[in-house]
Amino acid sequence: MTDCRRPTASGKDRYNRASGALLDDPDNAFLDEACVNSSLLLAAIPATAFATFSLPLLVQRCGRAAATLAAATVMATCLALLLPLAPAAFAGHSEVARLAWLPGYGLDLSLRLDGLGLLFCLLILGIGLLVVLYAFYYLPTSDRLGRFYSILLLFMAAMLGIVLSENLLLLLIFWELTSVSSFLLVAYRSDKYESRIGARMALAVTGGGGLALFAGIVLLGHIAGSFELTVILAAGEQIRAHALYAPALILILIGAFTKSAQFPFHFWLPSAMAAPTPVSAYLHSATMVKAGVFLLARLYPALGSSDLWFWMVGGSGAMTLVYAAATALFRNDIKGLLAYSTISHLGLITLLFGLDTPLSVVAGIFHIINHAIFKASLFMAAGVIDHECGTRDMRRVNGMFRVMPITATLAIIAAGSMAGVPLLNGFLSKEMFFAETISYPQFEPLGWALPLFATIAGMLAVAYSSRFIHDVFFNGEPIDLPRQPHEPPRWMRAPIELLVLLCLLVGIFPGWTVGPLLAAAAGATLQAPLPDFHLALWHGFNKPLLMSTLALAGGVLIYALRRPLFAWQAHLPPLHPRTAFERFYRALAAGARRTLAVLDNGSLQRYSALLVSFIVLLGGWAFVSGPSADVRLPGQPADEAAVGALLVLLLGALGATALYRERLLAVILVSVVGLVVTLIFIRLSAPDLALTQLAVEMGTIILLLLVLYYLPPRSAPRSSARRLSRDLLLALLAGGGLGLVTLQMLASPFETMSGFYLQQSLPGGGGANVVNVILVDFRGFDTLGEITVLAMVGLAAHALLDRLVLLAPQHDADGRPWAAEAHPLFLSMLMRPLLPLSLTVSVYLFLRGHNVPGGGFVAGLITSVALVMQYLANGIAFAQPRMPRHAVRLLALGLFLAAGIGLTSWLFGRPFLTSAHGHVQLPLIGDLELASAMVFDLGVYVVVVTVVLTVLAGLGSLSLRARSQIEEV
Amino acid sequence: MSTMSTATEYAVAALIVLGALFVLLGSIGLARLPDFLTRLHGPTKATTLGVGALLLASAIFFSTRPDRGVSLHELAILFFLFITAPVTAHLLAKAALHRQAKARDGEQRTTADREKARSAPESPLG
Repeated sequence: MTDCRRPTASGKDRYNRASGALLDDPDNAFLDEACVNSSLLLAAIPATAFATFSLPLLVQRCGRAAATLAAATVMATCLALLLPLAPAAFAGHSEVARLAWLPGYGLDLSLRLDGLGLLFCLLILGIGLLVVLYAFYYLPTSDRLGRFYSILLLFMAAMLGIVLSENLLLLLIFWELTSVSSFLLVAYRSDKYESRIGARMALAVTGGGGLALFAGIVLLGHIAGSFELTVILAAGEQIRAHALYAPALILILIGAFTKSAQFPFHFWLPSAMAAPTPVSAYLHSATMVKAGVFLLARLYPALGSSDLWFWMVGGSGAMTLVYAAATALFRNDIKGLLAYSTISHLGLITLLFGLDTPLSVVAGIFHIINHAIFKASLFMAAGVIDHECGTRDMRRVNGMFRVMPITATLAIIAAGSMAGVPLLNGFLSKEMFFAETISYPQFEPLGWALPLFATIAGMLAVAYSSRFIHDVFFNGEPIDLPRQPHEPPRWMRAPIELLVLLCLLVGIFPGWTVGPLLAAAAGATLQAPLPDFHLALWHGFNKPLLMSTLALAGGVLIYALRRPLFAWQAHLPPLHPRTAFERFYRALAAGARRTLAVLDNGSLQRYSALLVSFIVLLGGWAFVSGPSADVRLPGQPADEAAVGALLVLLLGALGATALYRERLLAVILVSVVGLVVTLIFIRLSAPDLALTQLAVEMGTIILLLLVLYYLPPRSAPRSSARRLSRDLLLALLAGGGLGLVTLQMLASPFETMSGFYLQQSLPGGGGANVVNVILVDFRGFDTLGEITVLAMVGLAAHALLDRLVLLAPQHDADGRPWAAEAHPLFLSMLMRPLLPLSLTVSVYLFLRGHNVPGGGFVAGLITSVALVMQYLANGIAFAQPRMPRHAVRLLALGLFLAAGIGLTSWLFGRPFLTSAHGHVQLPLIGDLELASAMVFDLGVYVVVVTVVLTVLAGLGSLSLRARSQIEEV
Repeated sequence: MSTMSTATEYAVAALIVLGALFVLLGSIGLARLPDFLTRLHGPTKATTLGVGALLLASAIFFSTRPDRGVSLHELAILFFLFITAPVTAHLLAKAALHRQAKARDGEQRTTADREKARSAPESPLG
């Protein structure tokens, strides 16, 4: 913890931004210590949650109870860590703990605990504990629960992260983590189709919203100059005045609305009801869907108080409130009804934030608490009914009051709270909502519209609550239930009992139960002194009470008129945003598949064309946009030999292109090109390059001939004129462009480092061959990277060729069978003595490499060509048993040698890959200059030999394996 | 160059001229001889000899220079050349027979016919 601030709480400015005034405090030594401790404690909450989320998975072998206990312990530990911090948050402090992470991007591990965070932490952990207990009974005993609880804990950790983040980018990371973990939870019963569809939809919508939120947060950070909440919340005026305010607000709202299932993004929530009911009770009532409204509350001081905020947040909230309440009434599935009711209540909370007065914000926070309590208990009750009856269809589940009177009573109380019946907590926040709509200042000429709207919404809430109570618990006898229902186990009911008790307590004694928490949370949300509000059951006869009464009466009336209403609803044109989304999603997936099929159709020609086109485009763009080089160096005069060589080069290249259907001839012409290039290197005094080029050329020719062997005997089909002209154009553009680039580079004067290398090669690197010293010493890190890539290529070739079965044709292009004598005696006998000779050459080149042309790379190529010669001359049956096996281990050995010698320099306190060198006197051989770079070079050597051998011998043995498999069959 | 004795100079010059002559002859043969099998003699026999002579000349020349010891590289090259040239010629001739390259007097086919009857090998390496 590098930084920790605690604003002083004094007078009006109680809910203040963090300030540095603490430093002037005389007794800050004590405070500092306390501050550090609480910072650690704060950081410990998410750290504990993330460190231990897999605990249930680890202990599930000890039984379901152990897993449950582990999950509960994790949550209880987090709660215990939170409690010492609670008093400060209640007092209005904002505890901030900060650990630099990626300061360059404005991303720090900074956490913040204030009233709002505390409220959400309590909801997450408290309801989480109840859900853990509930799930133990709800999920079938065949489920070992480790996976379930681990994902649940991961989700909880991510939620804690969201509500405790001080840095908005950090918040976003946790935000996306909740999307992912909720996907896993909704899809928990992955064998069910609805689960998978629902989970996918939830992920697509909330994940997509997360991307919008990301963009919005980046904009917001750009406007405010920081991603830290402390800065952003203090910069409200500046943010609202900024030109980018509108896009930032809209993007952030998309994020919040998708998460909180606000219209028009509400449709994923009913689909997510395929989740196990404990998940619904946790995610879809108390926590995840509240993340959206949490974000609204969190950013309210920065983004709120503008017309755009009012219309967007209020509009979407109002729309959702009524639309979802009306839809809830017509749902036959209990959880479907509850889902739409949740959407509706979230709409209510959103609307309250949108109304944009301090009191409405207080009401919104209050309703967050109340809704979490009663909705979680309702979901749990629905789960009990589902668990006992085997179905959730309200047309079949009837008369449950007689079967399970206790659960029924509890559910009825909770549903009453949902409807806003007096003495219950839902009533209080709904009263506050009604009061706010009446006193709302902006709608002067249409002052009656908002209250009327609110009353209608209240009526609908009462109506669907009545339907829930009446249909499930009364309304005659159950119809054709899969199971014989009875009361659930004692402890399965306990969470519901506790939550319903809270409903009653908050409803009857709001002041001393929820008052302080609400004050702390609302204060932290507003970042300003709290408005004057009074939590009480009885406010006297006033307009809100009248509206409540109207809502209750109207709701009951609507429910009484349900039969004509249902008949009317059945005739409505079906409105299926879910199916529309699913159709859209499938169209998107099909489109992606089609695009992929166009791009990735297995044609090497197409890949090359696309790749080269892209390079041409990039190069062209750079060419057009880059600065032009005006200074040109004079070119060198060309002599006859150079012109001749270039002509041969040109003829070879043209011939290979023109004669591509005569494969063998084309390969020979390609090798002509390579040889001319080698000669050019020699002429331009680059013996190292020439040597390497020659060795590469040998390997390439063998490789090409091997590949040719597997091609079908008929020659390649002729390309269409269109394709030919496309390829010609591409080739001309790419080749011409490359030529231009080369000319540009060679003709522009520039300072090179060659002088330094030439000077330092012998004293600094201990070698006279500058090229080799550059490779193994000056730029050893580059070489290490290159041989790593080479090793990867070898590994990939090994993996690809290992199981490939490819049968070569039995005869050549003219229909002649291959020669019977595959390994002429003359060849095989003379190649054997050639092997030690070739190896001597390669060792010679290797050893002298540091001082004169040679080195590990060339030596490796020569060794591998010499070894491949043995394959060619004597056949695989002879050569394979005599070759080193375990290509993968050899690759590792090579890399280990190269990297290991680099690491050794650490032992001597030098940087990675520092080279040491000295003279050694050996008998017989004499003075030898040895450099540690030689070991590095040895690593290069081993990797090169292994890769070339793997590829060539692998290709060569394909057909052999194919044939032996055929024979086995 | 000045330190080289006259005898060595003559020897080197003679070898170079001889080598060049053989290489030239081999090249003419490659260009002028009528069919593949006879053409094969040019590069494999005459030219090999020519290059050998040139290499010897190089070895003598560099060995007699004062600042260097005996130059053995050329001998190694010579050795490689003398092993690979006949093998190459042998393989080319076999391939030509296999492909039933027609000589002017047209008496081939026999070997190829015989080989046709046998089974094909598994792989170029196998």
